Amino acid sequence: MTRMTFQQALVAGIAEEMRCDPDVFVLGEDVGLFGGPLKSTEGLFAEFGAGRVIDMPISEGTIVGAAVGAAMQGKRPVVDLMFLEFLGLVMQQLIDAGAMHYYSAGAARVPLVVRAKYGVGPHHGHQYDLHSWATNIPGVKVVAPASAEDAKGLMKAAIRDDNPVLMVEHMALYHGVRGDVPDDPDWIVPLGKAAVVREGRDVTIVASAMMVKRAQQAAKVLADEGISAEVVDLRTIAPLDEDTVLASVHKTGRLVVACEAIGRGSSANDVIALAADRAYASLKAPIRRVAAPDVPVPFHRDLEKIYVPGAAEIEAAVRSTFQSAEAAP
Amino acid sequence: MSDGPLRNDTSLELHRLMVFSRTLDRIYGEHDGHWHGLEGEEAVAAGVYHGLRPTDILAPHYRGMPIASYAKGADLRRLFAGMLAKKTGYNRGRHRNDICGPPEFNLIGLYTGSLGPPVGYATGAALAAKIDGRDDIAVAVFGDGGSSRGDIHEAMNLAAVQKLGVVFVCQNNQFAISTPLETGVAGSVAARGQGFGMPGVEVDGNDVLAVKDAMQTAIARARAGEGPSLIEAKTYRVAGHFYSDAEDYRDQDVVQSWRSRDPIAAFAAFLTDQGIASAAELQAIEDTATEQIKAAFAAALADPNPDEDDLGFDTVYAAEASA
Ligand SMILES: Cc1ncc(C[n+]2csc(CCOP(=O)(O)OP(=O)(O)O)c2C)c(N)n1
Repeated sequence: MTRMTFQQALVAGIAEEMRCDPDVFVLGEDVGLFGGPLKSTEGLFAEFGAGRVIDMPISEGTIVGAAVGAAMQGKRPVVDLMFLEFLGLVMQQLIDAGAMHYYSAGAARVPLVVRAKYGVGPHHGHQYDLHSWATNIPGVKVVAPASAEDAKGLMKAAIRDDNPVLMVEHMALYHGVRGDVPDDPDWIVPLGKAAVVREGRDVTIVASAMMVKRAQQAAKVLADEGISAEVVDLRTIAPLDEDTVLASVHKTGRLVVACEAIGRGSSANDVIALAADRAYASLKAPIRRVAAPDVPVPFHRDLEKIYVPGAAEIEAAVRSTFQSAEAAP
Repeated sequence: MSDGPLRNDTSLELHRLMVFSRTLDRIYGEHDGHWHGLEGEEAVAAGVYHGLRPTDILAPHYRGMPIASYAKGADLRRLFAGMLAKKTGYNRGRHRNDICGPPEFNLIGLYTGSLGPPVGYATGAALAAKIDGRDDIAVAVFGDGGSSRGDIHEAMNLAAVQKLGVVFVCQNNQFAISTPLETGVAGSVAARGQGFGMPGVEVDGNDVLAVKDAMQTAIARARAGEGPSLIEAKTYRVAGHFYSDAEDYRDQDVVQSWRSRDPIAAFAAFLTDQGIASAAELQAIEDTATEQIKAAFAAALADPNPDEDDLGFDTVYAAEASA
């Protein structure tokens, strides 16, 4: 085990995969000598050189496009898109990449990782959480680690995966979260598997990335009130680990889904649909959603605070599931 | 210095804009480590942003947005308030005037942080002017880094086939964050003009009169309905990418050598040599700039923060009846 930050864990995961697989390479703006935005590729240039850690011009569509083309040739590119706010610039390429394996009847594979930073936090700007868009693209996986351990393990699994993977990296976790991370190069955290990060009896809170931290804070406060909350960290948002979510909801009978993305059109809605479809009989209360309002992310810190769903909103939503079904939160 | 047919008062206005920019930069940079400074590039900003009509559309480079907004008529205090995201800013704290100027002055900025799309919006503004039969023009400015975005190539092609009145300006400061010109840009940006069937010229971006001359030629062509032009103004990013940039990716000797080619000092020397202004007059310009900018910044700092009202959840959509 090595104690490291979320950012160091992401880089360590890439470095390990680069050491054991010569097809893995990194491309993006300022990923080389500079070490990547928020140090997202720190040290990789020194170890692997300009041939495998390649600085790109500011041409996002073509950066991802070129990565798709290289992946079709058997390479395993890891693109640093800088910010998730730029997802719109590369959507067409992701739609294509997601369709290739299926439309070619299995002849084409696109082992590609696109990394993108986002989130309300210390880095003031580029906050938009747009990950839900990508969950609507068939063939693309969406991964959102919440801990240093998962950052490394999921990154390694994403690089080994034969499909395009969007890895969203919350900037508040980047330098703010530390954890003990396994050193065994064969260890990974499999894609498509959620984790129960806190066990509980009375209510299930489903979250990912920074919302997991907020859900854990909320669960502590609720425990003092006698409410035992279980927190499920999705880790992979698409494809969704239905079994883990359903097992928890069947157990607790209550569901609160929390996400930092705007609620309308968000991936949280798919978790809710899943429970409504397949756990209705177990539900003792209406499902609650905690999400950002349908508004562009505001800039002033005070407005940002009001805007972003926090632990207090999660607590309130949980409490509301213990009131009568008619009472709105 | 080139000696275009410029009147002396224009020269003084250009100088004043450069001095305002430098002063604003220092005062704001001390406050905000994320500030993208313009030091050393002021001749491009002044030469490009000076003297546009209120009805001309300007999509400035994000670096230098406040001075562009000021040149277009925006109020300094409200701009600072907008940079600080205060209640009194043009954005009511919802967005940031350091990368996005107020559209009421026909400014187009970054509404998300993405470089490239504003150049398309400026091109569309020129299309609107053409449809209306107005001779207002659009000026679209981008960096050497941004010049690699497909949007900008597409905008140049569209403007050329449609003969739109757009002046494209590449503010080439030879760096994009840590990426030097050589690894970011193949060939010459100016030469791309010919590729799209429009004039493309390279000018010394540290010579404010050279920039202004090139702008006047391009603006005249645009107003006459003859189509777009491309100007590449070659300068150097003396400042860090942002104010607290460690800059461990570049040679500080090169930075120093460009510092010694400071466009403001050079133009001040030119103005006094030519007898256009005395040293005392230039000092007075500096004093006024310091005084006005300090006062505007202090006032903005003291302005109230936005509150829940300013979030305006119900104002995301424009109301039906809005004129
Ligand atoms: C589409 C897009 N990609 C990446 C970024 C991140 N970014 C912000 S500034 C910058 C460098 C821009 O370089 P240049 O256009 O030369 O302008 P300069 O900063 O040198 O003035 C980058 C890459 C962005 N804002 N938009």
